[in-house]
Amino acid sequence: MSILSLNHHADLEVRSSAFRRAFSRRTTRLKAELRTLHLHRDGLVITTALFAAALWLAVFSAACGRRSGQTELTIAVNSGVEGDGLKAAAKDYQAERGVKVTIAEFPYANLFEKELVDAVNRTGAYDLILLDDPWFPRFTSEEQHLADLEPLYQSRGSPGPDEDFVKTSLALCRHPYGTGKLYALPYVGNSQLFFYRKDLFEKYGLRPPAQWDDVLTAARTITEKEKIHGYTMRGAQGNPVASDFLPLFWAFGAEMFDAAGRPTVNSPEGVAALKFMLELGKYSPPGYVSFNADEVAAHLLQGTAAQTINWPAWISAFSDPAKSKVLGKVEFTTMPGQKRPGQAEIGNWLLAIPQAARNQEASFDFLLWATSAEQMRQSALRGNPPTRVSVFNDPEMRAKYPAFPVQLKSLETSRPRPRTPLWNEIENAFGIFLSKANSGELTPEAAMNQANEELSRILARGH
Amino acid sequence: MAERGIEIVSADHAPELRTPWHERALPYLLLAPAVLVLLLLTIYPLIYAVTVSLQTRAGAWTLANFTRLFADRFFLTALLQTLIYTLAALIAEFLLGLGLALLLDSQIRARNLFRSLLLIPMMLPPVVVAVIWRLIYNPNFGAINGTLKSWGLNTDKLTWLASPRMALPSVILVDIWQWTPFMFLILLAGLQAIPQEPYEAALIDGSSPWQTFRHVTLPLLKPAILIALLLRTMDLLRIFDQVFILTQGGPGFATETVSLYIYKTAFRFFDFGYAAAMSFVLLVLINFISVGYIRLLKRQEKV
Repeated sequence: MSILSLNHHADLEVRSSAFRRAFSRRTTRLKAELRTLHLHRDGLVITTALFAAALWLAVFSAACGRRSGQTELTIAVNSGVEGDGLKAAAKDYQAERGVKVTIAEFPYANLFEKELVDAVNRTGAYDLILLDDPWFPRFTSEEQHLADLEPLYQSRGSPGPDEDFVKTSLALCRHPYGTGKLYALPYVGNSQLFFYRKDLFEKYGLRPPAQWDDVLTAARTITEKEKIHGYTMRGAQGNPVASDFLPLFWAFGAEMFDAAGRPTVNSPEGVAALKFMLELGKYSPPGYVSFNADEVAAHLLQGTAAQTINWPAWISAFSDPAKSKVLGKVEFTTMPGQKRPGQAEIGNWLLAIPQAARNQEASFDFLLWATSAEQMRQSALRGNPPTRVSVFNDPEMRAKYPAFPVQLKSLETSRPRPRTPLWNEIENAFGIFLSKANSGELTPEAAMNQANEELSRILARGH
Repeated sequence: MAERGIEIVSADHAPELRTPWHERALPYLLLAPAVLVLLLLTIYPLIYAVTVSLQTRAGAWTLANFTRLFADRFFLTALLQTLIYTLAALIAEFLLGLGLALLLDSQIRARNLFRSLLLIPMMLPPVVVAVIWRLIYNPNFGAINGTLKSWGLNTDKLTWLASPRMALPSVILVDIWQWTPFMFLILLAGLQAIPQEPYEAALIDGSSPWQTFRHVTLPLLKPAILIALLLRTMDLLRIFDQVFILTQGGPGFATETVSLYIYKTAFRFFDFGYAAAMSFVLLVLINFISVGYIRLLKRQEKV
């Protein structure tokens, strides 16, 4: 053992010394080679410096040269169906108006960060940004990072946005909500829908899901008689479970915050709504606590669950024979009510101009063009629900998209998530405790009490 | 051997090797690009992150981000879970990896085939592995519950990733599946670097297989073991992708890890100061553990 390690040690020394010698020899040789190239030591230094300078110059001119010459627009979008739609529209705009449009595409998780950094630092990198509506308060509520659209309308001799926009969608674009200044226009008009198996409801003479009580009765009946799951939902921690819970929570008459902005999720109505959710959980597939939209949709498409809440993006799959085992059996309707009329959660994509955008007139021209009735029709054909009543009511579109009347009704009666710049953090914390209740870790009362405490803490801290 | 050593030492001090400054500078000049890249991509962001963690959003200096850490039960839970995750996965991966390495170091049939097969999980991207396991764990369509059901077992209570008690072990199992091959690979390389002589000596001295393993194999394998444990510990403490795909930290908070919580804080809540403070704590933790391993490694070399 000791001999071995001694050996090892000596060996290492020999190796490192040999390496040093070899390196020194190689250096000498390299230097000689450089000399033959007439690059003696000063030359080497000068060349390095020149090279560095050239590199800087290239980077610098690339950074500055972008804005020279003709009008050019850069739009930040998400990678997904909404961003793809806008990308296609940008191509049309470029062909039609001769303005070069560059699309900067980011995954959903990074888009918000990119847009906010640009807006807060006033870098002016983007002329237009596509925003998910819950992000909007972050851009407007403390400091104005978005361009006020009213002066831009006025400079065109127009009083403001036309009456064709769905009111709930346009209300999202104002700060304060619904009444304040206009900082964006709605581009994609999503709101939740209620999906259910019409054939099974008819088979067992069940009342269509107008009330949450009807939903629970149907869930119980179908689970018992059909041996499939009467209900399914997105139970995954964070945004999914919170999104699926809010319509129920609102219908039970609960509110997340009181008029003074204090959290009230542990109100008797709130706890009752959570208990009701756990009741529905009994008729949902095992493990629904980890489900996201794809698992929920898969259960419905496979015919193993009978009712759920989901977004309009999933509608088309139900008429696709390759994906759906329940062709023509699923009906889409508005959110059930209970103590209050049902309200879906709204989820719109808004198009806005950052305050630091360099050519606001040109940006505004694109904004008006992209949200015009004609373009929104194109956008709908590319798979994005419109935000204009006229497009929803267009007979040709209705023939192509039979769910449009229901989508419009759902959108018109929908409701935004609480409008606070802290929404992402609040939704995450709320979702964690909802998930804890659904997985049986906490009782509904304890979950709501702890959620309330956590929300108070987040609000007290601010950001 | 000794003669050569003396010769080299004297060569080092030989006057003809005293080179002019520019020749001595050349290696540094050649190193400069790499150092520059390191400075730009590692040191600068690190300093920047520390600055951000010590500032409020408005730019005033504060320690609030660090004091908040100790009162944040989400952070403390995530930290505890990360440590449990690391320890459990590390022990399991090490024991399995060592067992496999010993097995495949011996002369068995189709040895090379087994060696290649064992490396497959490690070669798959972690995201792909996580998606596969998400499907395997699916309580309704998944392979595990499907198999159990075909044996006539009731699987309604076996919800794996959706159960607060089973979620963390399920996620750890995926890590073990994917990264045991890594342990195996390093330990196997270590085993094969051990010369035959000490084994022969042990055999002559009449040591039992266990004694040989305990007093010959293990001490000689120690450097490889420490390196494998060091690399895995660093990776495990930063665990992100599997958890992100498999559970997003749920159900409730049962599988949240520090990296995931940092990610959410930075990119969902947009609180970079707090995220930077947590990252810094994680960095310090990883550094402490790494230094511990490296000390052990050095002590080993001196023996």
